[in-house]
Amino acid sequence: MSVELSFGEKNFIQGGIEQNLRADGRQRLDFRPMPIETGVIPQATGSARIRLGSTDVIVSVKAELGRPNSHHPGKGKVVIYVDCSSTVGPSFQGKKGEELSSELSTALQKCLLGGSGIDLSSLILVEGKLCWDLYIDGLILSSDGNLLDALGAAVKAALSNSLIPKVNILPDLAADEEPEVDIIDEEYTQIDTSSLPVIITLTKVGKQYIVDATLEEESQMSSAVSISLNRNGQICGLIKRGGAGLNPSVILDMISVAKHVSIRYIATLDSEISTAEASSAS
Amino acid sequence: MSSSLSTYAPKKLQRRFENKEKEWIRSDNRGFLQCRPAFLKTGSGNAASGSAFAEFGSTKVIVSIFGPRESKKAMMYSDIGRLNCSVSLTTFATPVRSKAMMGFEQNEKDLSSMLYKALEGVIKLDTFPKTTVDVFALVLQSGGSDLSVIISCASLALADAGIQMYDLLTSVSVARVGNNLIIDPTNEEENEQDGNLTIAYMPSRNEVSQVTLTGEWSTGKINQAMEISVAACFKLGDVLRNILRESE
Amino acid sequence: MRDIDIVTDMMTSSEGESEGFAVEMEEEASRHIFPIHFYEKHLLESIRPDGRHLSHARHTTVAFGPVSTADGSALVKIGDTTMLAVIKLEVMTPFADTPDEGTIAVEFIMPPICSPLVRPGRPIEVATVISKQLSDAIKSSGMLNYKELSLVSEKAAWMAYLDIYCLNADGSLFDAADPTAEEEFIMDTVITLVLNSSGQLVSMYKPGGSVVAHISTFQDCFVLAKHRAKELMGIMNDAMQLMEED
Repeated sequence: MSVELSFGEKNFIQGGIEQNLRADGRQRLDFRPMPIETGVIPQATGSARIRLGSTDVIVSVKAELGRPNSHHPGKGKVVIYVDCSSTVGPSFQGKKGEELSSELSTALQKCLLGGSGIDLSSLILVEGKLCWDLYIDGLILSSDGNLLDALGAAVKAALSNSLIPKVNILPDLAADEEPEVDIIDEEYTQIDTSSLPVIITLTKVGKQYIVDATLEEESQMSSAVSISLNRNGQICGLIKRGGAGLNPSVILDMISVAKHVSIRYIATLDSEISTAEASSAS
Repeated sequence: MSSSLSTYAPKKLQRRFENKEKEWIRSDNRGFLQCRPAFLKTGSGNAASGSAFAEFGSTKVIVSIFGPRESKKAMMYSDIGRLNCSVSLTTFATPVRSKAMMGFEQNEKDLSSMLYKALEGVIKLDTFPKTTVDVFALVLQSGGSDLSVIISCASLALADAGIQMYDLLTSVSVARVGNNLIIDPTNEEENEQDGNLTIAYMPSRNEVSQVTLTGEWSTGKINQAMEISVAACFKLGDVLRNILRESE
Repeated sequence: MRDIDIVTDMMTSSEGESEGFAVEMEEEASRHIFPIHFYEKHLLESIRPDGRHLSHARHTTVAFGPVSTADGSALVKIGDTTMLAVIKLEVMTPFADTPDEGTIAVEFIMPPICSPLVRPGRPIEVATVISKQLSDAIKSSGMLNYKELSLVSEKAAWMAYLDIYCLNADGSLFDAADPTAEEEFIMDTVITLVLNSSGQLVSMYKPGGSVVAHISTFQDCFVLAKHRAKELMGIMNDAMQLMEED
């Protein structure tokens, strides 16, 4: 994510943020428009594509039958992995790309799976024996900043789009026998995503912080804090990027700003997802 | 040969918290806001430029610092130094021989990257241009709050090696179990926690260099947990400073 | 940091003849620039740079049970070289040809913290060699009764994982080339595990090298090693007693 900026350009970006008028005309706490398409990958259980300016990400969900972890016999499993297409730019190639992939994957897991966002017990079919495993794969097609927020929103949209087949489980199973399943055609259940949190990243430039930073703005950051919040205003995860230290009171202030912003953001995301669902169903 | 052979560790019975909301006593009889007995020491190894050993309860960590030394990779010229962090766990760090466990390598990777993120803003990288400082940590025994112990131990080792820093870095972890906040959780407590806040903090500058929060939290609880962590980091900072003074 | 100092030393005094300025140079610096010369001078006097006599080992300590998550552990320090040996027991199905026996797997690990030569992700060759030597020494010594490790014939037996971590690899490269150091090393680590060793030679290993050792040299070494083994047994027994008293 290397951006070469001249002294004048840097000054313009920093000055704009200071005066609450960013280079693209937004205010500090404004998001870019967020068009969503769902069902873009027909063979997946669910999928969604989100664009934020030139940032473009696709997330697919694949449901497979698996065996619950022996420590949590009553729960299904969710795995999130993000892949960076090397065509995006030099910083997405080779080892740098791998590092970014693993950073984003870990961040998503911490922010989305830490709390009770996805009800894992709803994925169980036979306790201790059979469950649904959700493989959530993200792909970055192009980047103009704020990848984590975009991916978080896309995961939510893809899960809303997911239809998990209903199954018949053959009864009379002996203690050590593998259960037999029968997938019922054309009957599905939906995953409840209402309590799945959203991720809001506040990027600190100078003394101010902004949401939905572009690549150019990110190049001027001292540090960034990503906060995941659910509908009830609970904080479900928090991670920090960037070297510069932050005063604890600044972090707490960022949390309250994110909480404030999240109300509007969740509403926008909900309406975008339902619009996309309506158009993909027709 | 051991890799082709499948073995398993006999399971040990684990105590469970019966009712998290009720008043309970921590298994080691500590107060909720009391850290485990700690032992810290600098200079446990002489092959390195600096090193430190840290023991918090049953969590035991050694950190060695190498360098500043020539950057190994064919790196481009850089007027600031490179920081390289690597955390490894011994095979006996966890009750189950860990190499066979799933996610063992991922855990090492995560710890390494978290250590890097905590330290990158604390070390004066411009004091060793063109060269690399290696921070290698070995977790001898994982007993809970591992990352915090690694970070504090690494900062002590860096000071021992004479690497310039803006401030000593201290780190503590606070777990939320039900409605209670407990500091410096053990493994057993981490398994039962509903949320965790780990901060790396520079006491003299009053700055957080790294923070991770998991689980569901209300804003009020976060404020409370942050306050507890910062206060504990201040105390730990004094402890580290005293150790460095004595080791001179 | 030390290395950088020497470079400046070299530059300021590079005008003199090598033989001449070596004498004037600080001892520490000459040790790095002319190591062979430095050691030869000491060997002529039958004394080593750290003040030890040629046949004397460094100060040795043994502590049992430093790792509480393990089934058995010992920390051994010889001078500044520190080794942590840990036993972890797991259950396995015995091999078909030895249904009443368990087994042991030995691994010697040099993590990056122990030496500037080890980098993460790239195991160092020496570690592999020592790992094999140790494994051979332990298995051929007969110090373990594998039958004792059996749980249920043909069904279950203990697999003992012995992992030895090098926590600090001290010794200039010169020391490591010394055959007695090599032998001491083997005996020491074996004895940390066997408690009833009778002082018989378990294993001998000579790494290939440019110097061909005479048989008499080996005999000398053997005597030294035997003496050292006795000394180590004493230290071990003291440590055992201490542990039992606790």
